[in-house]
Amino acid sequence: MYDFKFADIGEGIHEGKILKWNYKIGDAVKEGETLVVIETDKVNAEIPSPVSGTLKSLGAKVGDLIHVGQTLVIIDEQNINEFFGPAKTAVQESEEAGVVGELVVSEEIIASSIEQAPVEKVSERKIIASPVARKLASELGVDIRTVKGTGEAGRIMKEDIYRTFEARKQPKVGEVTPEVPLPKVIEVEATPSSVPLKPRVDLSHEVGRREKISMVRKAIVKSMTISKQIIPHTTLLDELDVTDLVNFRTSNKALAQDHQVKLTYMPFVIKAAVLALKDYPLFNASFDDVAEEIIYKDYYNIGIAIDTKDGLIVPNVKNADRLGIFQLAKKVEELQTKAQNKQLVLEDLAKGTFSITNFGAFDALYGAPIIKHPELAILGIGKITKKPIVKDNQIVIADILPISLTVDHRIIDGADAGRFSIRFKEYLKNPLFLLMN
Amino acid sequence: MATLNLLEAVNTALDQMMEKDERIVVYGEDVGFEGGVFRATAGLQKKYGEDRVFDSPIAEGGIVGTAIGMAINGLKPVVEIQFSGFMFPGYNQIVTHLARYRNRSRGKYTLPVVVRMPYGGGVKALEHHSESLDSLFAHIPGLKLVVPSTPYDAKGLLASAIDDPDPVIFMEPKRNYRAFKQEVPDELYKIPLGKAKVVQEGKDITVICWGALVREVEKAVSLVPNVSVEVIDLRTIAPLDQDTIIESVKKTGRVLIVHEAYKSFGPGAEIISLINEKAFLYLEAAPVRLAGFDVTVPLPKGEHHFIIEPKQIAHEIKKIMAFQP
Repeated sequence: MYDFKFADIGEGIHEGKILKWNYKIGDAVKEGETLVVIETDKVNAEIPSPVSGTLKSLGAKVGDLIHVGQTLVIIDEQNINEFFGPAKTAVQESEEAGVVGELVVSEEIIASSIEQAPVEKVSERKIIASPVARKLASELGVDIRTVKGTGEAGRIMKEDIYRTFEARKQPKVGEVTPEVPLPKVIEVEATPSSVPLKPRVDLSHEVGRREKISMVRKAIVKSMTISKQIIPHTTLLDELDVTDLVNFRTSNKALAQDHQVKLTYMPFVIKAAVLALKDYPLFNASFDDVAEEIIYKDYYNIGIAIDTKDGLIVPNVKNADRLGIFQLAKKVEELQTKAQNKQLVLEDLAKGTFSITNFGAFDALYGAPIIKHPELAILGIGKITKKPIVKDNQIVIADILPISLTVDHRIIDGADAGRFSIRFKEYLKNPLFLLMN
Repeated sequence: MATLNLLEAVNTALDQMMEKDERIVVYGEDVGFEGGVFRATAGLQKKYGEDRVFDSPIAEGGIVGTAIGMAINGLKPVVEIQFSGFMFPGYNQIVTHLARYRNRSRGKYTLPVVVRMPYGGGVKALEHHSESLDSLFAHIPGLKLVVPSTPYDAKGLLASAIDDPDPVIFMEPKRNYRAFKQEVPDELYKIPLGKAKVVQEGKDITVICWGALVREVEKAVSLVPNVSVEVIDLRTIAPLDQDTIIESVKKTGRVLIVHEAYKSFGPGAEIISLINEKAFLYLEAAPVRLAGFDVTVPLPKGEHHFIIEPKQIAHEIKKIMAFQP
């Protein structure tokens, strides 16, 4: 006889109400089958039978309360075979099983394998490295195939992997990439404790056509990853009435043409931005998070995001604060031409202080631009469209420019961004003021 | 050129070797009059007479024992054990005398005996008809163990085994006996013992197999089209073709060994040890065995649980490819 008591089923439950008995006295039950369902203040618990046997008595009726320690049921284990037969039955093997078995007989003809004289083959051996070294390379994210082994017969030693890892951390000199050498960032990257290592997601078995990425793309991958890993971005969206600017540009386009200048809105935007930067120098600064210092710049090098067939490149207009609208227009055009023809030099890309990206060319209104580290802000310019607006209680048609201002929220708060945005709007709305400046 | 199944290829090899060399005698249970239970020796008694092709008593100890005596006295017996599982009464003779005579006589005598036996599962036979006893032979010094996988290989390897001056255990994959045919040259040819065959070249992973499972591995390869698989048919289990195995693993860095013989203490363990000894620093992933479960081969009803299938092999290949150090 098995005296099965209501046990503590956890969760601090001390009593339960019998909801349902699945068996009645005299029934046979198998071990593990649900005997009874008990309602507690937390759950409805299905209580399995601890043994196989027949039910001799039930400790409580449906609706009764039962406490931990009380007998739930008494099970007679002796009687089990009457109901279920011997515990184990022998599997009946088929009578036809033959001594020789059943040979597969087929007329299928497999490919001929008649051999010719063997051809000497060039060895294509794997690189030589211990599993420990392979694991280390994997952990450091070093492609072991790029490591030069200095051990016996070119065996890759742990030191070789460390050396490759260290070398990779140094900025490459003289290489034209859209990224500016950033000693601080690199130091941060070298300190795994402060910045988590890039999570490695193994896609080595992803199916599809594979293509190596360009140098430009590699640089974009790196700089975007750095920006997004380090900078907490926040973006402010706004719009402004640029009807006066549009009219001004339209009426002066021909004049500009006479001076070999293709007049776009970009020089005006740069000018307005520079003026706003002068009012709010924090937006023209960098943040040294190691020294915990803000570095204010007394020069205004405004980056222009340029879409090339190799990918995004951000050269900057040096000393934009000293240039007039025509000079800015020419400089922007020159940078665009150089970018498309891969003629930019490192100097064009270095030392930017603030960036502007124009996604209006693609009909987009708003974006969430990514800051070019170590800058602290970036301004996104959308497409100018005609919209009905309310002016002096009249609905009028206006040229509306949508802007998206992203800032580094570690240093620049939303309110700062709002103030900068208001100032920028004031300047850009008034082209004559821009010219006077 | 004839198109033959594996059984016919064995028969042709025996026939052509007997024609060439009258010292060759062929016998075993039902081998003479009936031509063997599987008909491997069909027609040979009629052609070469009862002195050279005959039925033996049902006594494997006697079959191997008499072969040893005949070999010492200048004959070249090629005997058949009806199923590899019937080999045990003769195992004493094989291990204690056949394998050792060259050593025991200090090189005066070698025993040019071939012991043929069908092996392996997949044909729904009874338990001691379905075993793969590779390890029991490969473990013994003085024995060569040869396992053909195709008709072409069967003829060329058996001819080499018969010509070998020392004893050769020749295990024939009975599920391949009549399962397919292949072009086999009419004239006698030999495939060297102790040399593996690279069935298919690849660069990602080496799959080592032999006998009946070579074909299953080839099917598995078609299930993993994105993996470049190098397939090696060992052909000879003992002695191992170390060079071919090691060169391949140094190239691919990954290895899967597939065999029907039981996993524990099986050939796969030996091959992996070899790889660890000679190609350890080239490994990209831990070497893996896919082998028979360590249980008596199940009776016909449950045999399919034991047999290694292409999708299992493909699964192992994928797992090894996904291995991260």
